[in-house]
Amino acid sequence: MSSDPDFISSAGPKTEELVFDAKEAQRRRRASRMQRVGDHLKREWQLYAMLIPTILWLVIFLYKPMYGLQIAFKDYSIFRGVAASPWIGFEHFETLFNNDQFLRALRNTLIMSAYGLLFGFPVPIFLALMFNEILNQKFKKTAQTIVYLPHFISSVIIAGIVITAFSPSAGIVNTILGWFGVDAVYFLTKPEWFRPIFIGTGIWQEAGFQSIVYLAAIAGVSPTLYESAVVDGASRWQMMWKITIPSILPTIIIMLIIRIGNILEISFEMIILLYQPATYQTADVVNTFIYRQGLQGGQYDFAAAAGLFNAVVAFILVMTANTISKRYSRTSLW
Amino acid sequence: MRTFKLAAAAILGTTALTAPALAQDIDLPIVDEPLELTIHMHWPRAQGYGPGGDTSKIYPVEEVARERTNIHLVDKTSGRNTTDNNEAMNLLLATGDLPDIVGGNLIKQPVNQYGPEGAFVPLNDLVDEHAPNIKAWFDEHPDIWDAIKAYDGNVYYIPYLPDGKYARAWFVRQDWLDALGLERPDTVEELYDVLVAFRDQDPNGNGEQDEIPFFVRDWEEVLRLLTLWDARSTGADVYHQFYVKDGEVVHPYAQEAYRDGLANIAQWYEEGLIDPELFTRGSSARDYLLGENLGGMTHDWFASTSGYNIALADKIEGFNFIPFLPPKSVSGNRIEENRRIPMKPDGWAISYSNDHVVETIKYFDFWFSEEGALLANFGVEGKTWDMIDGEPVYKDEVLNSGRPVNSQMYLEGAQVYRGYPQDYRYEWQWTRDSARKGIELYDSEDLLVEQFLGVSFNKDEQEVYDRYFPSIQTYMLERQQAWILGSGDVKEDWDDYIAALNNMGYQDVLEVMNSAYERQYSN
Repeated sequence: MSSDPDFISSAGPKTEELVFDAKEAQRRRRASRMQRVGDHLKREWQLYAMLIPTILWLVIFLYKPMYGLQIAFKDYSIFRGVAASPWIGFEHFETLFNNDQFLRALRNTLIMSAYGLLFGFPVPIFLALMFNEILNQKFKKTAQTIVYLPHFISSVIIAGIVITAFSPSAGIVNTILGWFGVDAVYFLTKPEWFRPIFIGTGIWQEAGFQSIVYLAAIAGVSPTLYESAVVDGASRWQMMWKITIPSILPTIIIMLIIRIGNILEISFEMIILLYQPATYQTADVVNTFIYRQGLQGGQYDFAAAAGLFNAVVAFILVMTANTISKRYSRTSLW
Repeated sequence: MRTFKLAAAAILGTTALTAPALAQDIDLPIVDEPLELTIHMHWPRAQGYGPGGDTSKIYPVEEVARERTNIHLVDKTSGRNTTDNNEAMNLLLATGDLPDIVGGNLIKQPVNQYGPEGAFVPLNDLVDEHAPNIKAWFDEHPDIWDAIKAYDGNVYYIPYLPDGKYARAWFVRQDWLDALGLERPDTVEELYDVLVAFRDQDPNGNGEQDEIPFFVRDWEEVLRLLTLWDARSTGADVYHQFYVKDGEVVHPYAQEAYRDGLANIAQWYEEGLIDPELFTRGSSARDYLLGENLGGMTHDWFASTSGYNIALADKIEGFNFIPFLPPKSVSGNRIEENRRIPMKPDGWAISYSNDHVVETIKYFDFWFSEEGALLANFGVEGKTWDMIDGEPVYKDEVLNSGRPVNSQMYLEGAQVYRGYPQDYRYEWQWTRDSARKGIELYDSEDLLVEQFLGVSFNKDEQEVYDRYFPSIQTYMLERQQAWILGSGDVKEDWDDYIAALNNMGYQDVLEVMNSAYERQYSN
């Protein structure tokens, strides 16, 4: 029909009219967009009001402190204040990269995070899948409570439990090893044991709580999928592999990207509670290094430089992870 | 910064002209009309100038001081919601709005750093002209005057000056020695034999070899054993400090005596003479090992360690844990490295914003007068103590109240970290007999060694120190623990270790240490 010359000619004056109408409508629409946003705000103001505390939190605790980051490039004196301290360029960063202990801490941070990710990330997924398969509700609730519990215990107490459990004289680990004729090992002074103990403790403490996200995702999978699978005669195993896991895959990937973004933020309070000079070799991470140099040693500017560098590395990691994920799985944070 | 300095100089100039030249004695009251001065007083027992940190109440001691001096201290403490003194001081400095008097715990470093920048008033001339009691005290202790100076040679704070000599001592289970028929060890060889006997001969008589011959609460205390091989573990009343050797500042962990001493400690650790859980036992070690009848010997505080004789009297039959003299070292020297430091980094200073510096220094001086010192040490006369035959004696209800006397004093406003001379008679009155006997034993010989009271760096020196020393100390402690635990041999590793220290800037640190030391103590 569009090839009909008659149609074109007959449509001539009409087109002008149409264009005029369209422009007019657009103009009217543009004016009413403001109005519509206004209407929308009026209608949904409660939702926006709920956003305010989070935005305030972001501004006060994350954006405002960024002002202080400049001391990484300054010769900072607390009495002179941030603004009045003189600029010194990259001097603190030079010192940082000439410090073997910082490089070691950076290496330890990356290694421990990578191990933490490798061993720690799948555990909550397994847990969630396992909880999902438990049919006895009472048993399920009890088991869940037990695995959530360590999350609510203070790090100081967890560290106390770990120190006691790995004690060479009274610890349960060495007692069990003793049954098999193994000599007592003073685990917490052995550099080669620090990482397994630290990562294991982290998994034990957090895996249960982290599994909640996946349980929620599983709960969101449409039951009709399972029903039709049952009709088709699928086994539970097949349903897990073919339905549950593909359905929660976006959640898994989002969690993975977030996790990679936080890769350099090791729970260093736990490290401080567990490490010794004897285990610094494998245990000292960037944050504990900053703590010792900056807060105990009073070098705020130098510590700020180390912290800033840490943040830059984390930023690069999360950007990379997000890009890769966007390209291959079409799931991304933004 | 410059303006602060000028302001301070202007205040000093005008007051020096207007104030009348005083005689040696102080006139009370200091001012005719009541004068209010604001104070920052942040210390471990109270965050704020009031009983237990409650600034709505007034210390009984402060009431008497107000009456006598007419100067009223009014609380203006920063960081009252944190017990971290460092944080509170930083908050205070960051506001820039300093109260008239800045006092409390660990003020030396900030005051000496920011004093020369103009945040605090130099006290040298003020003390000379207006503070006869402070001047008299420091004329007798010129070394301490040197020790509190900042890098520009001025004094910016009046310190809290602890009294009494001894802090920690060597303790042994005398009942175990008796059970095994052993003498108290007097030399390092005898000490070794006793520890071996504790390990092997079941002194607690439970049929098991579960005794821990030598244990400590803070793992660093094990380093006191170094003194038995003529090495040192620290130069001051905190761990890992520099010390003065033949007129030169050096670090104990870079000395050859340390190498030999540590080799022996590692040997003793391997042989099971030292607590195998040394590094993780923590502060409950003493409670646990004494309470379970397992620990044989330690190095710990006189007063609190003696207390176990009473606490465990019913639980463990014959329990007798008593101080003994430090064993003679391999070269026959007998020293007790740990002692009370004669001057603390605590006290008070006058800030640049104070418009009454002369009155304030006179007020500081009041606490060094006989009357003020008694008030600062014992509290209000007639309330907590009486003068009996020229001696201040606590009332029975204070001594027998069931609460430690020091805790009571903190609430009275005595023993607060003002700049004042502490009086050991305060503590002696409530020291237990067993500890008193130990102190008398230690007093019978000349055991104590000179303390290194620290230096004040100038900006360049501070930079060198900050750049190198934190890493050096980390490395020293890493190697130290590794050697004790037997991973690596200190004698084999020594040359590499020293080379690594030098590589990390140890010589540069020594250089700034010694230049600062010469400046501080040469005159």
